[in-house]
Amino acid sequence: MAEDLVLDTAIRDWVLIPLSVVMVLIGVLRYFVSKLMRSSPSPDAKIVKEGQVVIRARNLKAGANFIPPKSFRARRFYFSNEENGLLHVPKDQAQNPQAQMFSDPNMAMDMMKKNLSMIIPQTLTFAWVNFFFSGFVAAKIPFPLTQRFRSMLQNGIDLSTVDVSYVSSRSWYFLNLFGLRGLFSLILGDENAIDDTQRMMQMGGFGFDATKSLGAEKDGLDIIQHEWALPGFEHRAESVLRKLVQ
Amino acid sequence: MVTKTEERELKQLENQVENGGGGVWEYLSLVRKLKVRRSEIVLKHGLSILNDSGKRSALGPDEWILYEQVAIAAMDCQSLAVAQNCIKVLQKKFPESKRVGKLEALLIEAKGMWEEAEKAYSILLEDNPLDQVIHKRKVAMAKAQGKPSLAIEHLNKYLEVFMADHDAWRELAEIYVSLQMYKQAAFCYEELILSQPTLPLYHLAYADVLYTIGGLENLIAARKYYAATIDLTGGKCTRALLGICLCGSAISQLSRGRNKEDKDMAAQELESLAATALEKEYKQKSPAKLNLLSSALRSLKLS
Repeated sequence: MAEDLVLDTAIRDWVLIPLSVVMVLIGVLRYFVSKLMRSSPSPDAKIVKEGQVVIRARNLKAGANFIPPKSFRARRFYFSNEENGLLHVPKDQAQNPQAQMFSDPNMAMDMMKKNLSMIIPQTLTFAWVNFFFSGFVAAKIPFPLTQRFRSMLQNGIDLSTVDVSYVSSRSWYFLNLFGLRGLFSLILGDENAIDDTQRMMQMGGFGFDATKSLGAEKDGLDIIQHEWALPGFEHRAESVLRKLVQ
Repeated sequence: MVTKTEERELKQLENQVENGGGGVWEYLSLVRKLKVRRSEIVLKHGLSILNDSGKRSALGPDEWILYEQVAIAAMDCQSLAVAQNCIKVLQKKFPESKRVGKLEALLIEAKGMWEEAEKAYSILLEDNPLDQVIHKRKVAMAKAQGKPSLAIEHLNKYLEVFMADHDAWRELAEIYVSLQMYKQAAFCYEELILSQPTLPLYHLAYADVLYTIGGLENLIAARKYYAATIDLTGGKCTRALLGICLCGSAISQLSRGRNKEDKDMAAQELESLAATALEKEYKQKSPAKLNLLSSALRSLKLS
């Protein structure tokens, strides 16, 4: 039915705006708390070395055509040598990153802290929204939707005849959850604009997975064909000089 | 590396500050950000801010950063008393701080007391074995004491872990060249070219080293790298132009008995072009030496 429900402006004043304000404030609070709680990571020498090895291998890939073929081959051998090459990780040593994660107490603590700092405010806010702001129509979405969204967006509203565009405040909460990144980047500076979507992605991902990146670099190096670019430079230099001399 | 805009801004601020205009704090912050070495100016103006208690309190918490910056600049200019004062102030404010500990060790090194400085750095390294700055200070100390082999040893150990640090590779290359270990220097320059292939400086240095090592293959490669430098600098690098002429004559000397390969044809044009470009440049910049240049070039071509 396409009749227009008239929504009380009080809903806007007392539901939509406070909800947004609260979520922004919680985000800011979470940022400061995470700053306080962040333990300075003591970098492991092995991890630093692996990071640097990866950078050097990437440089080798990028600049391969600028050095003489012999040097390139020597370096490639150095990196991908089967016995003691830098990028070569023997199969049995390739640690399962999960096992590594749990065996290292520091990392486990860090993961716990990160997860908690995300889960708790989310759960609390969600419970608060459900408790206080359920059972009424909060807003109207400007575009029409299909019936499938009814269960998701109209959770507190038990009338099945209401148009799906009229949603409850839970959907406003989700909208804010995913959308406040732009606001955070304004307030907290561009680097800290992590909102909940990214945190959720961070929850799933693991720390720096060395073995995979090393293996990837090794494969990349093995693929490269060396084509010495320097002879071309002689011709280019000629043309440059010719132009200069004229 | 400092970009052109940053360099221009730096020069502009420097002029402003030197001529009595304001903007001292912006200049000091820019110097800090770009990590350039302007110790005299930093010392003079930084000290003027620190001695004036009004301006000092206007800085707020940045005052400690300024103390650190002035301390390092003072040590660079050998005003050790000034440095000592700054460090004392920092020590009072931040006792047991690793950063202040680094400054203290730096002061000991500046005074020339090598063993104590060595001990101080080892203690700092125990706490934090991955501190790049301290490793580099040890290398600098070895170099200052005139022990280049020790410096090489330290640098190699450093580079085993931090192999992507191109400043360290550059330092190692220069030390090798000073010790005439040209093959190792060539390796270092190759690393540098790999990390920054568009920088003509590294191509030029690599070409110099290759030319010095000698041998036909190296000479041919050297000429190619000189050509690369010319290409990257738009033909303005005098050294590369001369390098090409020298390489050309050396190659023709070496390959006198053998068959001339085809690539020499392209190269000969390059040589003559380089010679012409050189003469043009000398005509513009130092016409007095033009005769010298022409006779040198003629002797090269004849040989």
